[in-house]
Amino acid sequence: MTDHPTIVVGIKQVPDDDEVSIDPDTGRLDRSSAPAVLNRPDRNALEAALGIRDEVGGRVVAMTMGPPPAAEVLEVAVAMGCDDGVLVSDVAFGGSDTWPTSLTLARTVEYLDGDIVVCGEETTDSSTGQVPPGIAAHLGWAQLTYVEELEPLPETGQLAARRDVEGGYERVIADLPVVVAVAFGENHPRPAGLHRKIYAETEFEPVTLDADDLGIDENTVGLAASPTQVGGMDTIEGVERERVTVGTVDELIDELAGTEVLP
Amino acid sequence: MTDVNSEEYEDVWVFVEEHDGEVMGVSWELLEEAKSLAEETGEDLVALVIGHDVHDVAERAVSRGADRVLVADDEVFEPYRADPYGEQFRAMVEARKPSIVLIGGTHTGRDFAGRVAVPSHAGLTADCTEIDVDDDGVLQARRPAFGGNVLATIICEEHRPQMATIRPGVFESAPAEPDREGQIEHVDVVVDEADTLTEVLERNTNETVDITEADRIVAAGGGVDGDLAPIRRLADALDAEVAASRRAVDEGWIEGSRQVGQTGKTVRPELYVAVGISGAVQHLEGMNDSDVVVAINNDPNAPIFEHADYGIVGDLFEVCPALAEALEETDTPEVTP
Ligand SMILES: Cc1cc2nc3c(=O)[nH]c(=O)nc-3n(C[C@H](O)[C@H](O)[C@H](O)COP(=O)(O)OP(=O)(O)OC[C@H]3O[C@@H](n4cnc5c(N)ncnc54)[C@H](O)[C@@H]3O)c2cc1C
Repeated sequence: MTDHPTIVVGIKQVPDDDEVSIDPDTGRLDRSSAPAVLNRPDRNALEAALGIRDEVGGRVVAMTMGPPPAAEVLEVAVAMGCDDGVLVSDVAFGGSDTWPTSLTLARTVEYLDGDIVVCGEETTDSSTGQVPPGIAAHLGWAQLTYVEELEPLPETGQLAARRDVEGGYERVIADLPVVVAVAFGENHPRPAGLHRKIYAETEFEPVTLDADDLGIDENTVGLAASPTQVGGMDTIEGVERERVTVGTVDELIDELAGTEVLP
Repeated sequence: MTDVNSEEYEDVWVFVEEHDGEVMGVSWELLEEAKSLAEETGEDLVALVIGHDVHDVAERAVSRGADRVLVADDEVFEPYRADPYGEQFRAMVEARKPSIVLIGGTHTGRDFAGRVAVPSHAGLTADCTEIDVDDDGVLQARRPAFGGNVLATIICEEHRPQMATIRPGVFESAPAEPDREGQIEHVDVVVDEADTLTEVLERNTNETVDITEADRIVAAGGGVDGDLAPIRRLADALDAEVAASRRAVDEGWIEGSRQVGQTGKTVRPELYVAVGISGAVQHLEGMNDSDVVVAINNDPNAPIFEHADYGIVGDLFEVCPALAEALEETDTPEVTP
């Protein structure tokens, strides 16, 4: 491992899941009423990144892509202990799907000279989980996704991880540089320190980068350069259920007997 | 903006995920669902098998409906790693130009799909629950969005292939027809151990329980507060599998392979008993295909009651044992001394 790795954490501002409503007339989502928050799985990413710094030193820089107000999540990251925060913002990025998004973030990682990228498992607003592997693919780096535990191996310059796989786990060692996606809920994110919090709110100014700064051709990002488009949105009709409330266990068994689902 | 000629791309590909010869169930589900896509477009259904000593897996893919199977067989592919899989798959996609590529939305599938889609500049839609093609052969990939409130249709008009990862458990599995015939072709392996970026030290999947196959499920949520005894007893009485909400998994009370929901499994049992589960959208997404849902919760306002056929408002530590006991009684044939 480089002596003082630069650890870049990818974080995102998302509408609070529970507050997104659907306009009954248009069927469109009303996200404007939902407060914007830090994507919950990203707290696990921040904790994992700060944990690496605790062990081997180095620098942790949070990066986020979005319109200027998205910089709010950088304050959360800095309050938790990140050394710096970068806002990647340009109208050219508008409408990007995961392909140009991961390209833009990959270029940001190069700009920051990152050695390790840590992301959350997925975002609560789009839940593709594709951006971390996308960053790794654009950079040609190793990747570790669905990571439950991380262990830096400074002697060999590698990172060891326990990954969640269907029905169990695996232990993998990856060469640096590497992109890590941390499984949601796998560690206990540290609370913001009081002094860091005051610093984040009063003195901290994020670095802002646009397509030009990153040497990104505007034709390779944004809606037009996105291979996928949203073709339509349908409200999911909730499954119709009986919604019978019974008072006793015997009544329940009587009801179930009629449905023939009991063994 | 792109110069992709979609006419050059044809066939529907399905990735058959195997680990050590064991095929993941979702692969056969995709093969079944893809048959109708291939019929619709009049193209071949092609299975892709990557692994070591996997000829048997290729034959099984034929028996499950593949017209052709492409096999990349080499030691470098066992156990699975994102970089050699991604590179091999990418090379195959670029050389043979499939129109549609379907991959199971397992951790493995979601891990390497991007390593194919990014360098190929393909459209990749994550974790779909419905797929279809329109008259022009454009894949309509549908996926729940925004916590499962809406179903978004994602299309990819100008790039090829059209790739999608598909959630396990939402489709029926293709039946095996041992006499079916198909063509098996071994392809060049383009990756070398010397170029790999990762090393797998250990892979441990012994604790696998496949809750997606269960007829009856008793699922534990935050309400059990670490005590699974009432859940296990009720599951025994019902001859059911035990499952869990994310909360119960995160707390470490139950292993992750039993999690139901958006980031867990989609289950479709005849009976789903949700015990001490609030009914968050991410959980509902995984249990909505159940035939009959029973909710046991001490909060009459818990959202789960809106999504249940039968509900009992009460303390699970009382309701579960009482229910188990009543079922045990009906089970036991009456014996007169
Ligand atoms: C990106 C993302 C993905 C997610 N994916 C999933 C997923 O796949 N699956 C999933 O389940 N969740 C998922 N979640 C989490 C989800 O939002 C909820 O937090 C979770 O489902 C809550 O679990 P729960 O209902 O068991 O627990 P709680 O919310 O803690 O609810 C416990 C319930 O038990 C009841 N209760 C308490 N004590 C008793 C008692 N003695 N007797 C009877 N009832 C009692 C309470 O009234 C309450 O309704 C995800 C969240 C995010 C952000």
